[in-house]
Order: sequence, then structure tokens, then C-alpha cells
Amino acid sequence: MKKDFRIITNNPLVLEKLGDEYQVEYYEISYEDVLKKVRDEVYKGYRLLTHPLSGSVKPNETPYKSVMVSVSKSGADPDGMKIIENAIAACKKFEFKSDKYKPQVYEDFRLIDYTLISSALPSAEAW
Amino acid sequence: MKLEVGHIFIKDIQFGAESKIEDGVLYVSEEAVKEVVLEDEHIASVKFDIARPGESVRITPVKDVIEPRVKVEGRGGVFPGVISKVDTVGEGKTYALKGMAVVTAGKIVGFQEGIIDMTGPGADYTPFSKLNNLVVVCEPVEGIKQHDYEKAVRFAGFRVAVYLGELARNLTPDETKVYETYGIKEGMEKLPGLPRVAYVQMLQSQGLLHDTYVYGVDAKKTLSTIINPTEVMDGAIVSGNCVSACDKNPTYVHENNPVVHDLFEEHGKTINFVCQILTNENVYLADKQRSSDWTAKLCRLLDLDAVIVSQEGFGNPDTDLIMNCKKIEAEGVKTVIITDEYAGRDGKSQSLADADAAADAVVTGGNANQVIVLPKLDKVIGTLDYVNTIAGGNEHSLREDGTIEVEIQAITGATNETGFGYLSAR
Amino acid sequence: MLKVVHYINQFFANIGGEEKADYPVEVREGEVVGPGMAFKQAFGEEAEIVATIICGDSYFNENLDKAKAEILEVVKKYSPDVFVAGPAFNAGRYGVACGTICDAVQEELGIPAVTGMYTENPGADMFKNKVYTVSTKNSAAGMRGAVSKMAPLALKLAKKEAIGASCQEGYMPNGVRVNFFEEERGSKRAVKMLLKKLADKPFETEYPMPTFDRVAPNPAVKDLSKATIALVTSGGIVPKGNPDHIESSNASKYGEYSIAGVDDLTEETFETAHGGYDPVYANEDADRVLPVDVLREMEKEGKIGKLYDKFYTTVGNGTAVASAKAFAEEFAPKMKADGVDAVILTST
Repeated sequence: MKKDFRIITNNPLVLEKLGDEYQVEYYEISYEDVLKKVRDEVYKGYRLLTHPLSGSVKPNETPYKSVMVSVSKSGADPDGMKIIENAIAACKKFEFKSDKYKPQVYEDFRLIDYTLISSALPSAEAW
Repeated sequence: MKLEVGHIFIKDIQFGAESKIEDGVLYVSEEAVKEVVLEDEHIASVKFDIARPGESVRITPVKDVIEPRVKVEGRGGVFPGVISKVDTVGEGKTYALKGMAVVTAGKIVGFQEGIIDMTGPGADYTPFSKLNNLVVVCEPVEGIKQHDYEKAVRFAGFRVAVYLGELARNLTPDETKVYETYGIKEGMEKLPGLPRVAYVQMLQSQGLLHDTYVYGVDAKKTLSTIINPTEVMDGAIVSGNCVSACDKNPTYVHENNPVVHDLFEEHGKTINFVCQILTNENVYLADKQRSSDWTAKLCRLLDLDAVIVSQEGFGNPDTDLIMNCKKIEAEGVKTVIITDEYAGRDGKSQSLADADAAADAVVTGGNANQVIVLPKLDKVIGTLDYVNTIAGGNEHSLREDGTIEVEIQAITGATNETGFGYLSAR
Repeated sequence: MLKVVHYINQFFANIGGEEKADYPVEVREGEVVGPGMAFKQAFGEEAEIVATIICGDSYFNENLDKAKAEILEVVKKYSPDVFVAGPAFNAGRYGVACGTICDAVQEELGIPAVTGMYTENPGADMFKNKVYTVSTKNSAAGMRGAVSKMAPLALKLAKKEAIGASCQEGYMPNGVRVNFFEEERGSKRAVKMLLKKLADKPFETEYPMPTFDRVAPNPAVKDLSKATIALVTSGGIVPKGNPDHIESSNASKYGEYSIAGVDDLTEETFETAHGGYDPVYANEDADRVLPVDVLREMEKEGKIGKLYDKFYTTVGNGTAVASAKAFAEEFAPKMKADGVDAVILTST
């Protein structure tokens, strides 16, 4: 059976590690734009499956974000809408410094984001 | 379940030829602790340092803070499932070295964070400035993966703590505290009429650098469960969480969980402290639903009258906190929640990423976005390399005059969400 | 010594009550009047009241622009370090006047201001987020308590010192979160709060949840066949070309458009500006979001009295609740004035 989830991400490591096995939609966009893309999907009727503010690394600190949404539409998801809207609103609370790190730090950010989204896979695959 | 915790006060730490505790002074043989750390092949080298309250010392980047303890009577040993074998702990007798901690420091990832200042304004914001700290700075072997290294440092800290705790095994404690909880029926008979209260602790459980272990089990793979609060005093919960310095719970906070202690203060007087409920903060939304459903169900099953819910971390856990609060309240169980805030540097933004009218009793650890200027201190243990990149810092954080301008979220324990600190906000 | 200008109404200046409420702006240079005495005492050697401005409550509220200008002129002249108004206790118009003039002094002159009033004074809700407003008792019997909080706060503001948290300084929470150290640790505070909650005693949360604006429904329309019905939407329906450029998400404005004589919204005439849903079907036939066609039919059949000949529209996609509320606050009175009896709100 086809898995009913896909990952929206701007993290190349997620594409590289999970792209073959899972449906990964990779975009070269900002953290906040990933959230906005997810929001648009949620408003189209796809279900939000992972928390958009996963991880304690703050928005505008890490540039990477991966979020899982459903493949099939299942109608309005008010809880999901609330969560994604609040997440977008939270972005502005943090100083933007995603572009200020040494190159190897980005590798760490990619790794952390990858492990965060990976932590959802066992649960997502259980369906 | 009854646990006696003997306190052995440590008023100073000094390096010495032989490791021992004498007249309240902990002497540490560098050779011996080095051996303990280097047991792990992932660690290339290690340095030790001592930071005392009031000294002009800054420790950064801090990974974990651990209180050395030793089990002298009863089943199991400290840190079960991690250092000691898996065996139920929480009864008998345990000694704790009070007034000191083992602090692990050093880079794991490039955005590592966590500052402990032993003096100055920064010291007010971290509870660990009041302790004599033995700082363990590890260097990894080359080419090691971050998760292997995180684990290596995590375990090194526990091994050192256990090694130091053993030094107290044959000492006489300076004071002893007794903690006792009862079985369900027993408690109702012994404490008739007292409201039944539990502590719901949410554990960080989102992935690498965001994990917590219960008897060695990764908390994200658990269902909400019941634990005896005295088990926690023997190190049943340990931290693998290195991100969000201000509101992560170092192992020290688990061992000395303030909600557990303050509920025990009232236990038998105004309340019946029934148990502790552990639940997680997973990334997957259906996990959140399951865990919070389960927590509420346990509250009902235990016929609780009230609970305190504590949180760990930022963003994602706000959703768990509100779900737990809403569902527990809906079971008719009165709820107080402890959280912290990200209200922006100006304090004007929405503090939490979730909200509900059911959360009408909130204790806050303060606004983590508050900016503070930390003075230049004489000595840095660890490295300032990461100060510019830590959460709450920016490229100007480390200023030319050596002062550091950061948000307090960079300071270890500043806005702790178990209510460990005194900071609040209105 | 720091300079203070104090504002009070005719009543507290001992000029008279309601019958003297039209008393115009009067300045008493170097004079300390009424509650000013208590302030003078509280300020001690640190500050002096260089002038007292007296104004009748009716005069102020009925000649708002004029009164404001006159008072600002005076305050400017004395260039005080801080401006103090009231306390107004539960006097509604006085409270509004205090808030209004403090806000103006801060905004126009850049001079910090402080006022005080009872929490239920309408001036409190209007201005507590703009002006430090000390919470007072509901009558002048609370003068001493009010001054004991207002005076130290005024001095701090005058000295440009950091202002502590609302619970420390005594001002009403103003939407700005301020950190401070409590005397007991958080867990202890949580246990104490829990014990109070268990005993059904009053307790104070440290972080009030954002308030949810729940609107109680109005009574049903008695006779639809006589009612004027309006259409309002957050679905983004606009005349073709989106003449006012309403944003596709996080809208900062709304549109008011005429549908007088329009029986049907067509692909050629209307479209959606909304960026949060698939626009194909709305663009094909905007009646699907804003049902003008159906309402025109009902109008003809006599089921409703009349379809209001304008509609209001914005994009709900990520738009802040505060913005949405502000939009409606602007256009709702217009509809009311035009005799609209009921509104059909459509979303997407």
C-alpha cells in the first residue's frame, strides 16, 4: 500500500537520505516559506502530520525545515491550521541569523533537521 | 516506596593525588577521572577544570549538568539502564553530593549552546552558578558522527558522576531526607480526605540532541507511563538534550526535580502525592494525540484531583502542553502548567505557539528572548567559538570589549520549565 | 529637580461636579491642586509639579481636538520630564480623558506619561496598552494607594529607568512581557497555585492565555421578508483585476464594492484574490463564494426584503485576527447606518 505521507522540505540531506524511499518534495526556499507552503497544503485539505516547530533549534536560527503532510485530502483540519498559523507567527519572534554561520554548521543544521523528521517515520509508517 | 536521601555537603572541589571526600572537600585525582572518561574510544582527549561560585569564570558550551549520587541500600544502582543494570530503583538509601555538579562541556554541533557564568549578572540567571562545578571538556576522535559523539559525552558525564558518587559510599550524611509514596489503596487509607495529586512531566523526545531516556529507553518510543517520584531521585531519567539551553532539563534537574520536591513538601499535609506520570513531546502529531489521550486517561484512572504539568523546550512542546492541559481538565482534574515564554526581544509577541482557555493556571519561567549583556570574565572553560552562533546570540554577540550580548535563552537553566528557577514574567 | 505636569478634571480641582463639566482648559502654573498634594508629598525632593492643568470632562470629550491641542501646547511649554494624569478611579469620561491626553503627550511630545484608574473604567481598556495605567480602587477613597504606585512609576519614567513587570510596579498588564525574579521558585509557585485551585480559592495565573473573542449570536431575524441582508466574505471575491490590490494572504485591507443591479457574478466581472485555496472554481463563478445570484432570486421571490447593494470583502488567508477585527469595526457601522438587518458571512 502506498504510504499516505510526504515530506515538504528545503533540506537537501532529507532529499538525499529519504528521497528514494519516500515522497520528498524538495524546494530551495526559506524556513518560513516551507511553513507557508505547508500552510497552503493544509488549507487545500491535506493533513498536517508533524509539528512545524519540531526541534528546539529556533526559526531564523536554522535555515532548514522539513514537515510531513498527507498525500490524500481529508477535509478541513482546524487543529492543523491553528498549529501551522501559530508556527508562522512564531518566526518573527527570533532574530534572523540563518545566513551567519560557518559552512560546517549548516551540515549540523541539516543533520538535526533530518533526525527530527526521521523521528516521525516509525509512527508515520505504522498506518 | 520509601527512599532516604542522605546529603553530603561539598563546600569545595580541589584536584589532588587521590580522589576522596574529606571535611566537605571533594579531592579529585585528574588521572583517575581521565581514565574514567577515556574508557570510551570515541573520546580523544579530556580536560578537567573547577569552577566555584563567585569566580570570574564562564563555562560554555555546556552539554549536561549532573549531580553525583550513589545507591547504598536497596535495589539497583544510580542511572539504571544507562550505567547500572536495569533494576527498579527508588527505595532504600541513596547519598547525594550536594552543592556540586559534574558539568560536561564542549562542541558537539556547530550551533552548540549553554552558558554558565559563575559571577556577574549572568550568574543570577543560571541555578548552576551556585554550585562547585567539576567541568569535563571532551574532544572527540576525528571523523566521529555527531550522534556517536553526543552519546559518548553523555555517558562520560554519567561515569564521572558515578565515580565521584562512589567516594561517598561509606560516609555519614550531613542530613537525611525521607520520601515515601504509597500504593493506591494504601494511600487512600493512610491519607483519607486529602486531594490526590500527581505530577505530569513532559520529556523532550524529538530526535538527535533532543532526547530523554527513562531507564535507558528513548522517551519518544514510550507510551505515557507512571513512575514513582523516588525512582527519579536515583537517576531513572537522564538527559540527552543539548538544544535550547534555557529550558532544557539537564540530568541534575531530573535528579532534583523541583516539582517532585515541592509536592513532597505538601505530601501528607495538604495533599496525597500519588505518583509521577511521564509523557513525551514527539514530532508526529498523532503521537501527541495518543500520548496526551493516554495521560488524561491515567489521570482519570488514578482518580486524581489535580496535577502539575511541566514542559521542556520550545515550540513543538507547546502543543503537547496545551493538549495535556485541555484533556486533563476535561477529565475534571484541576491543572496547573509550567512553561516559559518566547515573547520576542520587545516582549510584545505571543508567548506560546499554542493556547487554550482551559490553561487558566500558568506558572512561567520568563521570556527567553530577553537580552542581557554579560561582562568579560577572566577565564573561559570550554570555548567562546560558538557564542556568536548560539540561540539568542548573533554575529555581534561577542563584542570587541569581550562582553557578550545574548538573549537569556543561551544561559543554561535560565527559564527552566519545571520551575527550577526564580525567574518569571508578567 | 525633575519636572512634572499634572492633569486633573474639574471635580478633583474642587471647581464642581457634573454641572461644571464643561469647564475649559485652565493652567495653574506652579500650583499643586487636589490630588497633586499627595503626589507632591510622594515625590519629596526628587520632583516638583511645575504646573497643574484642569479641564472639565465634558469640555475635553466634546471638544476633543481643541482641548487636546490646548493641553499639548501647555505641556510643551513646560517640557516636563513626566506627565501625570488623574487618578480617575471609576469616572468614565475622566478616565478616557486621562488616557487620551497621556497618549497624545507621549506620541506628539515624546514625554513619558502615567495615569491611574479602576480596571473597569472604559479608559483602561482603551489605553492600558499605550500608557502605563496604574490599577486603582473604584473611588477616591483609594487615593493614597493610587498615588503610592503612580508616583514611583512616574519618577522611574522621568529618570528613564527600566520599568519592572506589571505586578511589581502596579500598572495594568499592557501586552509587554517583562521578566523579574520571584521570591519563590517556579515549582513552589505552581504547588501554591494548585492548592488554591483545589480549594476553589481565587488564584492568579502568571500568563493569562490570549483571550478568545467569542461572539454571542444575536436574536434571530423576525421577518426575513422585510429584512435587508448583506454579504460579507473572507473568501477574497473582488471585481476582476482586484482594483484595490487586496493581498492574497495576510491581508492588510478590505474592499467595499457595489453589487447594485448585479444579478450574477460572472467569470468576466469577478474573481478571487485569495491565495489559500484552489481559485479555479471561485474564478469560474464567484457566486460560489459570494452567493449574489441566490440572494437576488430570494429577493425576487420575496423571501428576503432586499439584498444590500454593497459587499465587503477581504482575504482570510493568514490574516491576523486583529486586522480582521479592525476591518469589521470600520465597515459594520456603515451597514448598520444603512439599515442592514443581517449579514451572511462566507468563508472558503
